[in-house]
Amino acid sequence: MRISMSNQFRTTNSNGLINKNKILNFTFNGQTFQGYEGDTLASALIANGVHLVGRSFKYHRPRGFLGVGVEEPNAMVQLHEGDRSEPNIMATEVELVEGLVANSQNCWPSVKFDIGEINNLLNRFFPAGFYYKTFMWPKSFWYKIYEPVIRKAAGMGIAPLNPDPDRYEHNYEHCDVLVVGSGPSGLASALAAAKNGARVILAEDKAHFGGSLLNDDVTIGNMSGREWASDVISQLKNLPNVVVKNRSQVFGYYDHNMTVMFERVSDHIEKPSQYTPRQRLHYIRAGEVIVSTGSIERPISFGNNDRPGILLASAAREYMKVYETLVGKKPIIFTNNDTAYSTALEFLKNDITPIILDTRDNSDGELVKEVQNQGIQIRFNSGIANTKGHLKIKSATIGKLDSDKENFISYEEVECDCICMSGGWTPTVHLSSQAGNKLKFKEEIDAYVPDQKRQKETAVGAANGSYTLDQSLAEGFQVGFELSNKFTSNNSKTDTPMSKEPSQESHEKLWCMPLPNGKKPKRFIDFQNDVAVSDVELALREGFRSIEHVKRYTTLGMAGDQGKTSNLNGLQYVSKIEKKIVPEVGHTTFRPPYTPVTIGTIVGREVGNHYLPTRKSPIHKWHEENNAVFVAAGLWVRPRYYPRGNETMNDAVNREAANVRKNVGICDVTTLGKIDIKGPDAPEFLNRIYTNAWLKLPVGKARYGVMLREDGMVMDDGTTSRISENHFHMTTTTAQAANVLSHLEYYLQVVWPELDVNVLSTTEQFAGVAVAGPKSRELLTKMFPSIDLSNEGLPFMGLIDTKLGDIPARIYRISFSGELAYEVNVESDYGLHLWKKIMEAGSDFGVQPYGTEALSTLRIEMGHVAGPELDGRTIPFDVGLNGMVSQKKDFIGKRSLSKEAFVAEDRQTIVGLVPVDKKSKIPEGSHIVENDKAPTPNPKLGHVSSSCWSVEYNNPFSIAIMKDGKKQIGKTLFAVSPLKDISIPVEVVSSHYVDPKGERVRS
Amino acid sequence: MLEIRCPYCGKRSQNEFSYGGDGNIKRPTLGEEINTKDWDDFVYFRDNPRGKHTELWHHTSGCRQWFKASRDTATHEIFATCKMNEDFNE
Amino acid sequence: MQKYSIFSLVKNALSNHKDWEVAWKDPEPKKEYDVVIVGGGGHGLATAYYLAKEHGITNVAILEKGWIGGGNVGRNTTILRSNYMFDSNSHFYEFGMKQWETLSQELNYNVMYSPRGIINLAHSDAQMNAYARRGNSMRLNGIDAVLLGRDELKKMIPFADFSDTCRFPIHGGLMQPRGGTARHDAVAWGYARQADSMGVDIIQNCEVTGFDVTDGKVSGVQTSRGSIKTKKVGLCVAGSTTLLADMLNMRLPIEAHVLQACVSEPVKPLLDHVVTFGAGHFYCSQSDKGEMVMGGDLDGYNSYAQRGNMPMIQHVLTGGLAVFPNFSRLKMLRTWGGIMDMSMDGSPIIDKTHIDGVYLNCGWCYGGFKATPCSGWVFAHTIAKNEVHELNADFNLERFHSGKIIDEKGVGPKPWIG
Repeated sequence: MRISMSNQFRTTNSNGLINKNKILNFTFNGQTFQGYEGDTLASALIANGVHLVGRSFKYHRPRGFLGVGVEEPNAMVQLHEGDRSEPNIMATEVELVEGLVANSQNCWPSVKFDIGEINNLLNRFFPAGFYYKTFMWPKSFWYKIYEPVIRKAAGMGIAPLNPDPDRYEHNYEHCDVLVVGSGPSGLASALAAAKNGARVILAEDKAHFGGSLLNDDVTIGNMSGREWASDVISQLKNLPNVVVKNRSQVFGYYDHNMTVMFERVSDHIEKPSQYTPRQRLHYIRAGEVIVSTGSIERPISFGNNDRPGILLASAAREYMKVYETLVGKKPIIFTNNDTAYSTALEFLKNDITPIILDTRDNSDGELVKEVQNQGIQIRFNSGIANTKGHLKIKSATIGKLDSDKENFISYEEVECDCICMSGGWTPTVHLSSQAGNKLKFKEEIDAYVPDQKRQKETAVGAANGSYTLDQSLAEGFQVGFELSNKFTSNNSKTDTPMSKEPSQESHEKLWCMPLPNGKKPKRFIDFQNDVAVSDVELALREGFRSIEHVKRYTTLGMAGDQGKTSNLNGLQYVSKIEKKIVPEVGHTTFRPPYTPVTIGTIVGREVGNHYLPTRKSPIHKWHEENNAVFVAAGLWVRPRYYPRGNETMNDAVNREAANVRKNVGICDVTTLGKIDIKGPDAPEFLNRIYTNAWLKLPVGKARYGVMLREDGMVMDDGTTSRISENHFHMTTTTAQAANVLSHLEYYLQVVWPELDVNVLSTTEQFAGVAVAGPKSRELLTKMFPSIDLSNEGLPFMGLIDTKLGDIPARIYRISFSGELAYEVNVESDYGLHLWKKIMEAGSDFGVQPYGTEALSTLRIEMGHVAGPELDGRTIPFDVGLNGMVSQKKDFIGKRSLSKEAFVAEDRQTIVGLVPVDKKSKIPEGSHIVENDKAPTPNPKLGHVSSSCWSVEYNNPFSIAIMKDGKKQIGKTLFAVSPLKDISIPVEVVSSHYVDPKGERVRS
Repeated sequence: MLEIRCPYCGKRSQNEFSYGGDGNIKRPTLGEEINTKDWDDFVYFRDNPRGKHTELWHHTSGCRQWFKASRDTATHEIFATCKMNEDFNE
Repeated sequence: MQKYSIFSLVKNALSNHKDWEVAWKDPEPKKEYDVVIVGGGGHGLATAYYLAKEHGITNVAILEKGWIGGGNVGRNTTILRSNYMFDSNSHFYEFGMKQWETLSQELNYNVMYSPRGIINLAHSDAQMNAYARRGNSMRLNGIDAVLLGRDELKKMIPFADFSDTCRFPIHGGLMQPRGGTARHDAVAWGYARQADSMGVDIIQNCEVTGFDVTDGKVSGVQTSRGSIKTKKVGLCVAGSTTLLADMLNMRLPIEAHVLQACVSEPVKPLLDHVVTFGAGHFYCSQSDKGEMVMGGDLDGYNSYAQRGNMPMIQHVLTGGLAVFPNFSRLKMLRTWGGIMDMSMDGSPIIDKTHIDGVYLNCGWCYGGFKATPCSGWVFAHTIAKNEVHELNADFNLERFHSGKIIDEKGVGPKPWIG
């Protein structure tokens, strides 16, 4: 391991926000470096003289740092290793911690020597959209040859392959005023609102509060900008009605003033405690949102303006002032405005004399004067034409501009180790725009600012295009006060302090330098996506003139930074070429998120087994203890079968089903939906909901019912019992329980409010156990000796309230298996007790539990329909429920049943299928064809919905839904499953395979 | 995330509610003759306006009441909500 | 028209790309056209192209209120497939799949059709059975489909959750190997360029404000750029269908809903296939740029806003991590929304209307992109011949009266229920 000479690029002053007493070791590309507490990965690398960080997306050009924060398009790294490895992290956003490991990405074999850079040598063949024009021949080569190469070259970092070891959590918050950004206007807004008594949340994306006040030499009241910022923060932190959050970025602004923010909770902590989440997502519903997100500096396009060492002037200043880091020792400052002069002054403080190029003819701003007063000669009317230096900037070709600034008139080669450029500023309007705010173009600053707002959102300060400190503070205090007045009656206004900052002259409308004579270097606009001026020119030349077309054709603004530093320069260039003013060019849409958000943060705790809740019956524990194999039924888990010894699933299922047919079996049916229906109009209501008649159902009786949707499709089925005159107990299928309840509520509340009925889900209130088989009566008689379970005492479809010991129990005589059967309900807490009691009592009768598979076998043999038949695409006539459809009364969906296609002669109907060889099991999902050898498309007569091994006849049996099904009975057709290469000759039979007359249930 | 005022419970976030579609649809009276066109119109055809839309919501994870909302389908602004037996007070 | 090829690319590179021609012109609207197509999205552009190419009708205008390709063709998740269960759908979309296979060559524009295979994951035997029903139907219709077991899937997507703690373990899946992706913008631009070259006028920033209808016949359209005479108008306006239908007093079985999608930042190749999660609303493919392109479900209320809300993004990504837990440390880069013309049975409507000369193409729900070639082809046929083709015969309006609805999902006329 090599330890480099460390921190040779630090400033001489120590007014920054790093702690030089705490040294942190970190590794970049295998080399160990040292930085200080308070550094970012970016500042620590720069301090060690490292500017080459990664490679660009398309041309694999060497890239360094452009910015110092979220605007960074270039310096993306692969952070951490192993399962915590994370691609595409802006080095500017990573706070240094001891032992941090980072690597360059999108390069091979190394960032210094990257094979992919061949793309750069050939870049003239890869202009915007080149891939649309080629790679078309031969046809198969696109997918097999060209595309894999392109895919490999593209991408940036590497995705981890294993689950994330870290935790994320969510927080839901409300406040009166949310202030986004803690620069001067944000602090002013928050202070004014908070002191007026509003509940305030102040969110700052960075570790430090203060925004531009951390970098600008200004005075507020009698304090420096920085002092004032920390004073305001401590005031806010002491107020009970304020929450102050750093490392927290509001990235999305959604409807009804819902904003979403992520907080980096422990990324900056070397060893976070066990239960600290890595990040936290905050949903904040704010009464008012104050957008004080500041502005981002714009680069300038010139030849090879992307080399490592070329960065924004404001970034260079922040590296010096906050991180005590020098971006270089031989700087060129290149600007079209006054603000970059403060960077020059900062270099001068460190005894470094920059070369200053200004595209303007002159400026009388105070910063400019101060630089001149220090004896520095400023080269006005100058710009950069080109640069040299492969892995790091070495020199620049600077030039004198002609009077219309379309050409250089003279050139000079100047050595440098960094270029600090400034093309003016772009207000950060993302949140305002996401909120639905229309933007307007503000000519004085050549940028879009928020205009008409649609939500309760107000932009202040630089985000509103107000660039002076006076304006920012005045707007902040005013808006903070006014908006907070909506929530409090204090009417307590905070005075705006006096402030002082150097005066500035206006910028020049020039963001793209002319090409140097006879050369055509790339002048980049979008750094990460490698979009150059020539690409925009090409797009326009080819007729891609809408700004959206330019964006899509060139990919301008579509990289990870989403155009934070490139969009406006792109617009400006389109406006120049198209000879349209910028507002006519328009702008692309600002979409959330403002910066990329970790998916784990968005998802929170609902991962792995917690993806969705798991519902278990109160008898679940018994099933587990008795070797049940479980199956998911929606959110529920149900016993599928209970294998004994070496039994296969088929063995177990056949045994369980046969035991029901022969002796008695019990099945946990707790998961069935249960709905209590009460009220004098309950019978009338059921009569409208169900297709069959309900008015005359006697108390103490159950009835099978089918309900439809209005389009005539079967929605659900189940038995409903009349407990007392005005009280019914409805059961639904497990899958449809929630839908049916909403359906009933809809008709009661919306359609027939005149009906006096109430409905309530009781699914969780009762545990249910089906007791089925010829010996079920004997079993239950043993358990409930006091009640008469004979056909007279409890006839088929009857019910009886009784007690199991002291526990209230209800016994229904209903059957899904087609056997003599009962269902016993008790309150859920007694479910396990009931089950155990039945097992105990049943030992004399050969009782066995059966799972969902045997349950299916039993119902399929009987031709009872269930989920696979009632799939939302079948009407009652399709599934043999004709007898359930009342001709006499109206009900939901009845009118649809007379549709031409529904009453067609050859309409599909339910049938049974038996393989001719009586052996071959017919896979569910097979289709029925007349000729299994016919060429495709082979007409399908129907499909196999459910299959089982008939334990009654000891051969396979299936249910199918077939066109003109009843007429097919007796025919031999083919059940085919081309997916499994299976074709089985089958005989079409009635779907009522066992006990077609239904005698057993009444036995 | 929308913020919806349940007429029974007050303002709640959208994730407590389920959507119920066009609130202007009147179910044909049960038992009355209706021609096919009108019936199909009820089952399948929708006004689908861009702008103000009367619609139903169900406070599924709350009081379980259905109610009406007047909402702009272009901006998602909710002008008013009311109980089923009320009219919007806009 | 310039031919695009590796040779033209090299030639133009040597002349600094100064000699590329415009991909399509920017003409002023003429007074009259034989056919006016309203909507410069994928379907409208394809319709115009096939009118010119297959039927020799070149005096055609495409009227686009914004910029071409700006609707759903430019904001979808680029998936191509014909893995449908019902014959009406499967024959139609399979016709389209065959068009996709040669579309780059036909249009001389690389639409980047990649048959990377679309996999529907199943998480229970019941779901496997439902997929088997669909896959067998596909195979009987001559469409490729294979069932995949858990072990095969482990090889294809080893980073998916195959662990014991998984809430909904992967049982297997159904795959259509020829299903895949294409580059969405390229489809719009490729059709536009060829249609333009055959004489079609592509008129952007031209909003239709009314129709001239007399005696049940259309005679022209009113636009923001003046009136245009025509005897035939094809409506291909997806999410805006009802707004135009209202001008024609047509009430339709359509609701507008917003569907969001999102992409992660680009990463090196990881996911080769298109994968749909069967226990929640999530599907994903990786673009050639390296972004994970992810989508799921409608926001769930009528909307004409091309912007959605956060709960659905969270819901979809939660499903995403349930199947691909390693995506947790990727970052969501961009979200966006599109307006879906949701029909009441989930299937499209391509039909004549009660007005002579007005043709309707709508109801694409979330599946319109893959239909771009076949929709354009059959719609051009319907307009040119004034009669439906057998491929779109079932996609009529009458089905909502006759009962011959084509409901693949079986959820009924509530489009917001996934």
